Amino acid sequence: MPNASDTEERTVEGTAGRSAGGFTPPGWVRNATLVVGAALVLLFPELVPNAYVLSAGVIVACYACTATAWSFMGGFTGYVSLGHAAFFGLGAYGTGLLIRDLSLQPFLAWLLAGLIVLVVTVPVGIAALRVRGASFVIVSISFVLILLLVFQAWEDFTGGANGLNVPRPFADLYRPDHHRIFYYLFVALLAVMLLTWWVIDRSRFGAGLKAVREDEDKAEALGVPTRDYKLAAYLISATFTALAGGLYALWFGDLDPIFQFSILLGAYMVLMALLGGARNLFGPLVGAVVVGTALEYFKLEFGDTQLHLVTTAALLGIVVLFMPDGIIPAAGALLRRLGPRQASIREVTAEELLARNERRAAAGGAGAPEGASRDAPDGASGGAGEPDSESEGGR
Amino acid sequence: MSEKATETAAAVGLETVALTRSFGGVRAVDEATVTFRDGRINALIGPNGSGKTTFFNCVTGMIKPNSGSVLFRGKEITGRAPHRIARGGIGRSFQLCRIFPRMTVLENLLVAVRTDGLRQLLAPSRDARAIERARGLLVRVGLDHLENAEAGAISYGQQKLLELAGVLMSDPDTIMLDEPAGGVNPSLIGRIGALVRELNAEGKTFLIVEHNMEMVMSLSDHVVVFDRGRPIAEGPPSVVREDPRVLEAYLGV
Repeated sequence: MPNASDTEERTVEGTAGRSAGGFTPPGWVRNATLVVGAALVLLFPELVPNAYVLSAGVIVACYACTATAWSFMGGFTGYVSLGHAAFFGLGAYGTGLLIRDLSLQPFLAWLLAGLIVLVVTVPVGIAALRVRGASFVIVSISFVLILLLVFQAWEDFTGGANGLNVPRPFADLYRPDHHRIFYYLFVALLAVMLLTWWVIDRSRFGAGLKAVREDEDKAEALGVPTRDYKLAAYLISATFTALAGGLYALWFGDLDPIFQFSILLGAYMVLMALLGGARNLFGPLVGAVVVGTALEYFKLEFGDTQLHLVTTAALLGIVVLFMPDGIIPAAGALLRRLGPRQASIREVTAEELLARNERRAAAGGAGAPEGASRDAPDGASGGAGEPDSESEGGR
Repeated sequence: MSEKATETAAAVGLETVALTRSFGGVRAVDEATVTFRDGRINALIGPNGSGKTTFFNCVTGMIKPNSGSVLFRGKEITGRAPHRIARGGIGRSFQLCRIFPRMTVLENLLVAVRTDGLRQLLAPSRDARAIERARGLLVRVGLDHLENAEAGAISYGQQKLLELAGVLMSDPDTIMLDEPAGGVNPSLIGRIGALVRELNAEGKTFLIVEHNMEMVMSLSDHVVVFDRGRPIAEGPPSVVREDPRVLEAYLGV
């Protein structure tokens, strides 16, 4: 904290170079990256050499969905949930059980399972969101552990450790075609999430959520109904996670509580989102591509031992140490350092400042400020006539 | 100012009746019954630990009182959620200035825009009207040149002004300031004081907790003195200053 004596002087120079709310790349770089990225994602099934790589692509797409879904809570509000696997598992089992017991059409079962999770999450969210910080993390973990035990023990209903078979929606398709369809289904789900994210991010609701992340009590004091906002974000996050889980059930066809309600799965979501940048629209997606690919590779290489977990942990360590805000902000900062300096806020030169102060003094009469300080009397709005620099939507 | 203080016809704004809040065995606020009239600059003073901030927190809903009630313009608001009290027209600042450090100065103000209903909830936060209003407030507090700066990067004094602008953005009738002069330099104290006076002239009621006696005495119409969780004296500053009970509380005689 700066102390009282230096309040007025150093600030104009001090902040001019710092862009706010993260780095904003030039428009064409952004658009080009988007187009190339989207093309790569859409063409991926055509580019892969074999069905194995395609199936790995499905898994990565599924991870991207879960990480993005997680960020609706973790990214916007800063509430870190380590137990999001609970919603993934509920979505997966919900879909499977609805098909098995009610013989519903698979995709109808999928949507219905999402709806059920939405409803179930209301009381869970109300309970979990009574606490903040580390306590919330613990509560989120306990929820997934409870579900794990229930689904393991309740064998008659869930199949327990024997697993649950989910009939395939496209029984007559060969494996590669099956993978391809589900790859696109996951990508479509992801697209819906990204669109939702975009809408929230620029909305008043989003501004309120981000305020919760920064200072919850302060947001509340400004009139933001923080509890309702957090609950809404939690519901959106949980439902999307459940939809990803349901798709996974339809794709993979075999569920086991130990994998569906796994702490590890929840931890992966956190890792991916943080690695890519949980506050960035495409952050969790980028994180999922990096971590998901790494996980598959580690499993292929060290899958016989637990070493693949060690390597994953090392990855998390590297991120936390060197890129606490994630890849996208880190890359943005790098670009900014290398590229031409684009101040995203209007810089005020000493001359402009002097001119303005003189104008203010002339308008306000008395109390001309000394030097560069801004003690001009209020009401003298000489500065308001200047053109406003338009910032790129803040992000 | 003094003529306003003697004016008893002013409507009752914020009042508390036997408000009590204890922490462990300590009664931080002890059956405090106080009335603040609308349209005034009210000051709440008292030695450290006399319960001023706890009183603030009870009134604004940040903590729940154990007993007693808080009324705003005759309506009971005891124990309501802070955001509802804020929306009801009572804005507040915090003792250690609180802003959203990783948002821009402008975004800090946009958080306080009122939202009712789903449509407004999903409306862009940067809508033209809100931005125009925010910019007007930034000009007013003298931060318009820092609109796109990260709020955590501006100086402490500027953060204080930003916090005040944020409170104004939520459009309160009554503004509660917790130590507005704390930790800022004398010229800025003068500026904050001038702003308060200006806003008061426009009809805003103030309730200010402050240790800077010079500011309290020059600014306020009505002073309430707290000691051990309850008011021990009140009146115009010139009267309160001479009150033996006040001197005793401050000097610990």
